[in-house]
Amino acid sequence: MEQLNSALISIKVLRSRVGQVFETLGSGIRLEHGEEGRETKFLMELQELLNAVNNNLRELESTTNGLTPAPFNLGNTSYLSQETTQERQALYSQLVNSYKWIDKIHEYSQLATQVLSGNGLKRSYFNNSNKRRRPLTSCHNVMPHAVDSILNNIDRSLSEMTIKVWRPFATNAIVHVILGRVLKAAFVFKGIMIEWITVKGFDENFDEIDDLWTESRHKVFRNVQNHTHSAMLHFYSPTLPDLAVRSFMVS
Amino acid sequence: MGVTILQPFPNLENKTGPSIIDFLSKRVIALGAQQVGHFLVDCETYTSVPQMSVQPKVVHVLHNSEHPASVFSILETGTKQIALVADLLFDLLILKMTPAYTSKKQTKIESKGPRFELGDFVIKLGIVSMSQTFKGVMVEVEYRPCLIPSMCWDLIREFMQGFMGSHVTNIIPPYFTTPSMMAPNQNKQNDIYQPIDTVQQYLEHFSNYRKLSNPPIMGMRN
Repeated sequence: MEQLNSALISIKVLRSRVGQVFETLGSGIRLEHGEEGRETKFLMELQELLNAVNNNLRELESTTNGLTPAPFNLGNTSYLSQETTQERQALYSQLVNSYKWIDKIHEYSQLATQVLSGNGLKRSYFNNSNKRRRPLTSCHNVMPHAVDSILNNIDRSLSEMTIKVWRPFATNAIVHVILGRVLKAAFVFKGIMIEWITVKGFDENFDEIDDLWTESRHKVFRNVQNHTHSAMLHFYSPTLPDLAVRSFMVS
Repeated sequence: MGVTILQPFPNLENKTGPSIIDFLSKRVIALGAQQVGHFLVDCETYTSVPQMSVQPKVVHVLHNSEHPASVFSILETGTKQIALVADLLFDLLILKMTPAYTSKKQTKIESKGPRFELGDFVIKLGIVSMSQTFKGVMVEVEYRPCLIPSMCWDLIREFMQGFMGSHVTNIIPPYFTTPSMMAPNQNKQNDIYQPIDTVQQYLEHFSNYRKLSNPPIMGMRN
């Protein structure tokens, strides 16, 4: 315990020293340095401070080397290490490791649930609450001509973009968008909800209308695709589907 | 196939070619690039047999390892350049044309060196040599996702200045301000970039190197 305390103290000292260095560096040459040879004086001061930092760092290192991790005990299973057969002797250390990892995973999953519960990404109406609510208009089940009219409106309002609509599979539309001379994108719609987006460079082709799973050769467009996917989730709103699509296209 | 900018790297301290390449590749690797093979661009020039009342024509035949199945040839008629992209068979064809076109072997010039990839950039550091004599260093930077030079010039410029310093000018190379072949009413910088544009840039720099320093051959004097 004492060693730990002293290590913590030395960390504190080191931090304050480093802070001092940056402070002197930030304030630059001051009045105290006088007129003559003030630059060399300033450099000397800096040198001294850096030396002090070095010393502190060395101290910290020596104290941390003295620290030994507390023995990790898993109760009765520690007898596993006394196993006589050779191939089973390593079992105990593996067990300890897996235990540590499970602990970490537990921690991360707790954090993840916190974050995810703050940002709902629900794409359906099913929820666990038994509250009565009014029946909502579905955005999965929209007549094709309604989708077409929405897309046409978007096409007309954005001059840089050309939009082509295909319907290879019954009613659900696949939309090819060409944006200037920069990129091409394919959107898969389910009703009026965007389900998937593929982004490619202007020089790459969509070999088939439904060539949706090959990624772009270029890193930039793979990144853009990632961003479009997060935008797709961000703009999604089940109650006003056409607004979602529109705001997605504009952005 | 993206936009490629070619930039000669000045040899200020009279260093040797390999040491400049070393210096530049260290910087490029420090940026996180990985070496992916080598590259070679070579250029051979054929001149037509002089005839009465006809000005001799010059054909430059170039190969680029980035497009290994193609031969690029540029015919200079004096007033304009005519570019042709052909298959590898063109090499054999031009050999058959010796009665009309002859090549001077000592004018064969090439740029050769390591090829690096960094994200979507391709960087090629080439030693330019004409019949085994060192002429200079040329750096080629390609940004693959973009097709319109004016759109990505600023990006490429910033990237090049990152490892070559202030040798890179802030204005787009003069090659891109000439009218485009395909659409005469717009500049090359607003047109879609073609592989032949790379080759023409190489040719421009190669002929500069040729003009620049033709070291006198001492044995020829007496």
